[in-house]
Amino acid sequence: MHIASGFLSPPVWAASAAVSGTALAASLALARRRLDDRRIPLMGVMGAFIFAAQMVNFPILPGTSGHLGGGFLLGILLGAPTGVIVMASILVVQALVFQDGGVEALGANIFIMGVVPCLLGAAARGLWLRPKPGLAAYAVTLAAGILAIVAGASLAILCLWWSDALPRGISLAHALALMGGIHAAIGIVEGAVSVAVVRFVLAVRREAVLGPACADPYKEAA
Amino acid sequence: MNLYNRRTLVGGAAIALLIAGVISYFASPSPDGLEKAQEELGAAGPVRPAVEVPPVVFQEYNLKGLGEGFWANAAAGVTGSLLVLALLLGVGYMLCRRARPSPLSPPWERGRG
Repeated sequence: MHIASGFLSPPVWAASAAVSGTALAASLALARRRLDDRRIPLMGVMGAFIFAAQMVNFPILPGTSGHLGGGFLLGILLGAPTGVIVMASILVVQALVFQDGGVEALGANIFIMGVVPCLLGAAARGLWLRPKPGLAAYAVTLAAGILAIVAGASLAILCLWWSDALPRGISLAHALALMGGIHAAIGIVEGAVSVAVVRFVLAVRREAVLGPACADPYKEAA
Repeated sequence: MNLYNRRTLVGGAAIALLIAGVISYFASPSPDGLEKAQEELGAAGPVRPAVEVPPVVFQEYNLKGLGEGFWANAAAGVTGSLLVLALLLGVGYMLCRRARPSPLSPPWERGRG
């Protein structure tokens, strides 16, 4: 879902860079106060995993593929601030090293694939921190996962619309419906994969997900 | 680094590298949702000057000089995953070190939090 270079107008990319820059700065400030050192390896490998997963385009309709967003999953496992830091790192590497996503579109892409889905994931996080997450956690995660992708997709269309990057004669409603429809299908996969990965990580690395608010600063890791 | 953290790193990296290095080769080559929507809307091409990032080492997700085969993709996937991992570990430990007050800090900065 990366917006490529050459689409966003200067006001749109500047505004989105300002918003995402602020969100990233706030995330770094929050993580600095709250990051548990057991969460750092998890944060690193989740970043590597999302980068890898984004390379795996799966077919959704004839001639159309989708890939995992990942921000939603990061929001559940790591919370919103750390999730935003991870997503921003992935998107910067993709834009600068692999020409995936425009450099001037980084702000918009961080907002669309990072800030928005991370916040939605963080909202669903509480359900997973209970002793036995049940059907409610699965159902809400699936629904919120679809919402995260459709919301991001709609924002991508709005950014293109505000940038006059859609041809004249195309109505905004039509563009949103087309983009939303395709991404609802991708969102189902996103939600289902998120449920599976969260279950797996909780099974093998529960402490790193739950963690105390902050590691005891005087207890050096053995 | 303790065993718990080391196992998280090794196990997680192994899964990520398997996906980035092997499974990603079998990805669908079709345009993704946004590209497809832009095509359908007749807005596939850039409408203003694009910021070109020179493909120094990688041509999209292929290592330059290896064409577009399995190994070119695997090299790109493995390098990218490890880059993200290294970047995040750096950021993470920097944040964590700053969060940990030194024994010389004044008492009000030494508590949990």
